[in-house]
Amino acid sequence: MIWHIAKRELYDNLNSLRFALATVLLLALMLTNATVYLREHLERIQKYRTSVTDYWNVLTSRTDLYELAQKGPGFLYKQPSPLRFCAEGGEAFLSDRVDAGAFYWEWGDLKGFWSLAYPSSTPNLINVRPDVTKIDWGFIAGYVLSLIALLFTFDSISGERERGTLRLILATPMPRHTVLAGKFLGALMSIFVPFTLAVLINLFVISASGDVQLGTEMWWRLCIIFLVAVLYTGFFIALGLLASTRVQGSAVSLVILLLTWVTFVVFIPSTLVSIASGFSPAPMTSDEFWERKNQFYDKLSGEYYIRGDKPLSKSDFVTKDAEGRERLSQEHLTQQIAQVEFVRAATRISPAALVQYLLESFAGTGFNRHLQFLENVKRYARQYREFVIDTDRADPDSPHIIGVREGMSRKPVSPESIPRFEDSLSLGRDFNDAAIDLMLLTLVVLVLMCDAYLAFVRVQV
Amino acid sequence: MLITLIRRELLDNLMTFRFAAATLITLLLVVANTAVLIKDFDRRLASYNTAVKTHRQQLRETKTYSAGKIVVDRPPNPLSIFNVGVDKRLGNQIEVSYAFVPTLWDAEMSGSDNPFLNIFNSIDIVFIFEVVLSLMALIFAYDALAGERERGTLRLVLTHPLSRGHILIAKYIGAMLCLLIPLMLSLLLSLILLTTTSSFSLGTSDFLRIGGLVISSLAYLSVFYLIGLLISAATQRTGTALMLSMFVWGFLVLVYPNMILAMTHSSEHLKPRAESALNQMKQMWDEFDRERKHFLANDPVSGEAIYFNVEWTTGADCYDSEYSAEDASTFLYYYQVEMQMESFEKESEPNVSYVQDYFRFLCPRTINMAEQTWLVRKPALEDRFIQPATVDRLLLKLSPTGLYDAATQAWAGTDLPGVQDFFDAARQYRQTVIDYFIDNKAFEVRQWFTADKKPVDWRTLPQFSFQRVDVGANAKRALPDVCLLLITNLALFMAIFLIFQKSEV
Repeated sequence: MIWHIAKRELYDNLNSLRFALATVLLLALMLTNATVYLREHLERIQKYRTSVTDYWNVLTSRTDLYELAQKGPGFLYKQPSPLRFCAEGGEAFLSDRVDAGAFYWEWGDLKGFWSLAYPSSTPNLINVRPDVTKIDWGFIAGYVLSLIALLFTFDSISGERERGTLRLILATPMPRHTVLAGKFLGALMSIFVPFTLAVLINLFVISASGDVQLGTEMWWRLCIIFLVAVLYTGFFIALGLLASTRVQGSAVSLVILLLTWVTFVVFIPSTLVSIASGFSPAPMTSDEFWERKNQFYDKLSGEYYIRGDKPLSKSDFVTKDAEGRERLSQEHLTQQIAQVEFVRAATRISPAALVQYLLESFAGTGFNRHLQFLENVKRYARQYREFVIDTDRADPDSPHIIGVREGMSRKPVSPESIPRFEDSLSLGRDFNDAAIDLMLLTLVVLVLMCDAYLAFVRVQV
Repeated sequence: MLITLIRRELLDNLMTFRFAAATLITLLLVVANTAVLIKDFDRRLASYNTAVKTHRQQLRETKTYSAGKIVVDRPPNPLSIFNVGVDKRLGNQIEVSYAFVPTLWDAEMSGSDNPFLNIFNSIDIVFIFEVVLSLMALIFAYDALAGERERGTLRLVLTHPLSRGHILIAKYIGAMLCLLIPLMLSLLLSLILLTTTSSFSLGTSDFLRIGGLVISSLAYLSVFYLIGLLISAATQRTGTALMLSMFVWGFLVLVYPNMILAMTHSSEHLKPRAESALNQMKQMWDEFDRERKHFLANDPVSGEAIYFNVEWTTGADCYDSEYSAEDASTFLYYYQVEMQMESFEKESEPNVSYVQDYFRFLCPRTINMAEQTWLVRKPALEDRFIQPATVDRLLLKLSPTGLYDAATQAWAGTDLPGVQDFFDAARQYRQTVIDYFIDNKAFEVRQWFTADKKPVDWRTLPQFSFQRVDVGANAKRALPDVCLLLITNLALFMAIFLIFQKSEV
């Protein structure tokens, strides 16, 4: 019986103007998305490959263990996600590399060791072009699809009531929940059809170009992203049904829905960002950061001055200096991340923000992905340092004093033994990160549907 | 009769639910966001004030001319609350050095504690109007004609001895008066909030600018109302009119701006003209470098060190650093020496005059080189950065939302020319600084690099001050866009009139 109603709804919608307009709009957006992505992705991949090759060439050209230990691995690059067309995730504002070879000072024959430094510059400073939201699946689903969902459902109950057909339907021995479920499914299917069509064409254009190879894991990710988008559409359909049931006239229902939509989708995310970032503790400013860095160095060099330049104290100085610098950078970064996490938690009130974060997680872009990249970098830094110590230990002629040239192994290091940085995406980890968001979204959809059901049961015709 | 009609329209609209809901939402959004934006502005102003203070302090503590780092800061624009434009995004501090001509692309950003927060987009009051008021105007308009036709009241109205034009005008005035209420109320509330905040000192000219904002907002609102009316006149049923209006709205406000900018491609590769500019600058740079090295090679002191074996005694603040920057992406080439010696060995005294000779030779050439490269650099920068941005902005203006955005940015002074004004001022100030240096013979005296006799007294240096351009200039920048908005209004009204004239009831 549900199918009966759903089918009727679907047929009704297929012939309507809104269906045609929605299809055209979604198709145009998805095609734009695909063409822009193809153009930009090639450049991105090319840039990543040359940077990584450069990094590896420089690293393997060094054979002296001291040089390797002092200069560090150099710039480490973030692997661009092939699914960036799904969610841009503010990647333009996130740094695509970490400097694992930062800060050289020289003091006679003594040289400062490398440490991890996280670039804090805003890369957008020289760009005078107008700001723009990238058209990704996140935008298409978050803004356009949700608006379409509302436009499909705002009159589904109230319209029937106005026309008097609701009375007719309820006169049949069909339980009310069946009617509601049928309406829900019908609306979902009517949106599902143009959206799926647009998505398929988008994917076809992308994979037919031959420039992008999407592996099995990527297709799984795409499936999840698609399902999330459908779930999110379900949220707005349920909302539309709820408003349509509760209010008498379609016009009133539409006004309520549109204003709710504008508030929750367009404004709440941005407004809450400003509010939440004002309330969360501000991270240390970059001036403060540099001051603390200099203070630390002054203190350490003062101590070194007193202890004299014996090899052991030299080694101590160099290692402590690198460690201290890295600890400070890490602290700075942790504070910044904490603030962003707080802001992201606050914006989750809006389903649009929620779905944005979900898409980002599964597309392997955005903030969560950046955190993963930083973790990979940290792991690699540990590995690299261990490699230096182990290589030194393996040489019986070395005095094993890391940090000074004469205290370290003189044997040439073979390029094969140097650990190589591999940045990779992992679906499992992304899933773990997104699980709570996913549950939250499902819960919200369920609650709304129950609400709509309760409202519909009590509706008087 | 016209008055009666207008009154009927007004009452009809005022008593509706949509009016109440839309007014409430606009008020809520505007007030909440104004509060947030004021807080944000306070933060920016505070960080600007600290930056100015630190930079002055740092300059005063410098003891030689060459080491003096004169940094000027761009104050945040108070009207950025209404439309933030590029005010917040572009660099807000710039070094004014004799060695290069400062531009927007050499500026740095101070005061942003957390660069990660950039991943979230920020909003301003104009954006709220852009989205909510246009939606509201369409909701008011979609059934204005189609609804009456459906209900049959249109037939009734037309039986009166009234021209159809009058009916249209009555509808337009009635609805616009209605739409004015949320616009004016919310603006008034945000202005009250602004004026009660101590950090805002809005002058008469600022209120004139806000007046300009209001006029642009009205024109924008009217465009969307007329679009709705056009759809309503052209369609037979309200349902169709509604769907069309909503999709037109979604397209014009949400989709078009983002889609059109995604289509325009910004290539990372330099155009041949930029390439040739870069080569030209490189040649000048090489020539300069050759001359410099030639001078160093022919001097009586061996070696290429620029301190000519002057042995300074260790102590606080003894350093020399020379740096040359080559940044191909922003076409920047410059060479600068900073020296600050507190005292030096007695034996070095004869060599000091060599150092003086060197700088007497070098500094005017550095300035000359800066001026010459600037002549090449300026068009190159325009080519590389301004031109694509202008094309983008032009394309955006094909949608009324883009026009409105551009007009309000121009009124608020947060558009690109508004920010460029600051850098023009910085360039003028650089000339003042150079004149000051020349007047004080700074390049020739010992104080250029050493403070052994007497440190530099920076208090006599003229202060930098930046005033936003006057309202007239803002109006001149905004006028084309406002006019375009008005012309769109007229065209739409004509179209509606024609359609409505010919339509059958």
